[in-house]
Amino acid sequence: MSTYLTESRYPLELAPTMPSVWELWQRAKTLEWDPEMDIPWDELHPERYPDAQIMAARLHWSRRTWGEYGAISESPALLLRFCLENRHPDLRFFFTMRTQEEGRHAEASWLMAERLGGYFPQPQNPPTVDAVGTHGVRRMAFDPDTSLEGIFASLVCAAEEILIDAFKATVHKATNPAVRRLMELILRDEVRHIAFGWQCLDAWAPSFTPETVQNIERAVTQMIQNVEFNGYRNLWLAVEGGSATPLEIDADRVACEAGLGGTTPEDEMRIVPQFIQKIRARMEPWGVRLPLFDHPKLGKV
Amino acid sequence: MSETSDRLLRGYQAQEKRFLERRFPLRFAPENPTLRELYNQAKGFRWNPETDVAWSRFDPAAHAPAVREAARLVWSRRAWGTYPGLGENTALLIRFCLESGAGGMDAKLFLSFRPAEEAKHLEACFLFATRLGGYESTPSHAAVARASNQPFAQMALDPDLPVEAVVAALGCLDDQLDLNLCLCHLQHSRDETARQILRLVAGDKQRHVLFAWTLLGQRLPRLAAAGRAAVAETVRDVLERVILAGYRNTWLMPEDAREPLLAAEALTAEHGLGASTVAQEKAVVRATLAQVRERLATWDITLAPVNHPELGRA
Repeated sequence: MSTYLTESRYPLELAPTMPSVWELWQRAKTLEWDPEMDIPWDELHPERYPDAQIMAARLHWSRRTWGEYGAISESPALLLRFCLENRHPDLRFFFTMRTQEEGRHAEASWLMAERLGGYFPQPQNPPTVDAVGTHGVRRMAFDPDTSLEGIFASLVCAAEEILIDAFKATVHKATNPAVRRLMELILRDEVRHIAFGWQCLDAWAPSFTPETVQNIERAVTQMIQNVEFNGYRNLWLAVEGGSATPLEIDADRVACEAGLGGTTPEDEMRIVPQFIQKIRARMEPWGVRLPLFDHPKLGKV
Repeated sequence: MSETSDRLLRGYQAQEKRFLERRFPLRFAPENPTLRELYNQAKGFRWNPETDVAWSRFDPAAHAPAVREAARLVWSRRAWGTYPGLGENTALLIRFCLESGAGGMDAKLFLSFRPAEEAKHLEACFLFATRLGGYESTPSHAAVARASNQPFAQMALDPDLPVEAVVAALGCLDDQLDLNLCLCHLQHSRDETARQILRLVAGDKQRHVLFAWTLLGQRLPRLAAAGRAAVAETVRDVLERVILAGYRNTWLMPEDAREPLLAAEALTAEHGLGASTVAQEKAVVRATLAQVRERLATWDITLAPVNHPELGRA
C-alpha cells in the first residue's frame, strides 16, 4: 500500500456543473433495461429462417459482442482518468452508467447470437483478431501524452457515432421483432453516449489550443483509418480484408437482407461517407480539419 | 493536467503494460451461477436516488439547526467514503479483463454494473447532505482527508498483487464492514428519508459483499501458497493501515483529528438521522472482524488479532 501514489482528491465537488451532461446521467437512470426481460425473445423464431441466414446472423451478433466487450475492457479506463484529473462530477457520474450500459449491450448481443443458434467466441481465422480485437482506447486513456479531447473525439464522436449512424440507417430493415427491439434499445443508450461526447467537446472547444486541435485531428484520423477501415465494426470495410473468411465478410449483408440486423455494402457506401462529411463539418468550428480519406471501396471521402 | 495526476496516470500506464490481455476465444456463457445471478439481480433491483427516495416528505425544519449541521457533515463524510468505489471497482473490472482474458465473464458483467451503483449511493449521500443544509466538499481536518483517500484503484491494477488479495481486502473486509455499518445505521435510524436511503444502499452492498465471498470461494482453493500468503498479508495490511486508521470509523482516528465529526455522528445518531453511536459501531467492527476471520479460516487464511487503543484486542 505504501508504494502507491495518492490522488489529490479534495475538494471533492459533486454538484452538477454541466447541466446537459447531468441530464444525460439522470435520463440514463430512468431508461435502464434488462436484455433477459425487455426483448421479445419469443418472437425471434430462428426456425423460420434458412440455415445460411441464421449462420450470417450468428456471425454478425457474435462480432457485435466482441466489439461491445471493448467497452467493458477498454473505455472504463477513461473514468479512472476523470477521477485522477478531477474532471467535472457530471462526467464521472455519467461514465459509470455508460460502462453499465455497454456491459448490457455485450450481454444482449451474446444472447441474440446464442438464441439464433449459438455464439461464436472468436473469429474463424485468428488474424482477424487484430481487426476486431481492440480500438486501443485503454492505452490512450492511460497515456498522459494523449489528450482527453482527442480520446473523446476518436472514441465517442467517431467510433460510436458511425455505429449509431449505421444502426439508425438500418433499424427499419430489421423485420424480426426481437432483433429490432434490441437494436432500438441499444440505439437509445448510444444516442446518450454520443451526446455526452459532443456536449463535452463543444463545452471545452473555446479553450482548445493548437496542440489540442492537432491531437483531435490525429486521434480521429487514426480511428477512421486504423480501426474503422480495418474492419473493427464491419469486415466488408477492411482495407486489406485481413484473414476474414468470405462467410464472415458477407455475414452483415446476408443478416441484413434477412431482417436480422447488420448492413449491406450499399448501406455502407452511403453511411460512411455521410458520417465522415458530418463529423468533418461538426468539428470544423473547433478549428479541426479532417483530411480526405482514401478507401478502395468507398473512394475518396 | 497537474504533476500529481500525470505521475498517477503514468503509474496506471506502467501497470497496464505489464499485463498481456488475451481476448479470444471470448467466452460469455455463465461459469459461476452465483456470480451470474448476482449480476441478474443487479439488473432487476435498480433504483434511482432522485425518484426512489421520498424527498418531498423530508422536512429539514423538523430538526434543530445544530442537528441539521451535524447530519450534513455525517452524510458528506459518507459521500467521501463512497466516492472511491467508482474508481476502485472500475480498476478491478479492468484488472479482470487484463488478467482473465477470455474468461471470467460473470465477474466482469457484475463489475460493469458496480461503479454505477456506487455512483447512485454517492448521489444519494450528496442529495441528503444538500437537503440538510449543504454538502461539504472538503474534510475540515487533513487527517480525515488522508484517511479517506486510499490508492485502492492502483492496488487493484497492481500485477504483483494477486487479484484474490485485492478482492479479499476490499470486498471481504472493507465492503463487509461497510455493509455491517450501513445495516447498523439503518437499525438505529428513525428518520424516514435516512432509512430509505440506507435500505436501498444496503441492498446493493449485500450483493457487493456476496460477490467478493463467492469469487474468493471459487478461486482461493486453487491459489498457490505464495498467493495465499499475499491474501493474508494484504488483508492484514488494509485492516491495520486503513480500517484501524479510521477509514470508516471516526473514533478509530487519532484523537486530535476526530472532531467535529465525532460529535456530529453522536448528534446524528441521537436524532435518528442515519448514524450509530461509538458503542454500536465498536460492536459492529468487532463482530465484522470475527466474521471475516472465521470465513477466511475455512481456507486456512489466518487473520491475526489486532490491537487498537479504542477497540482493544479484536
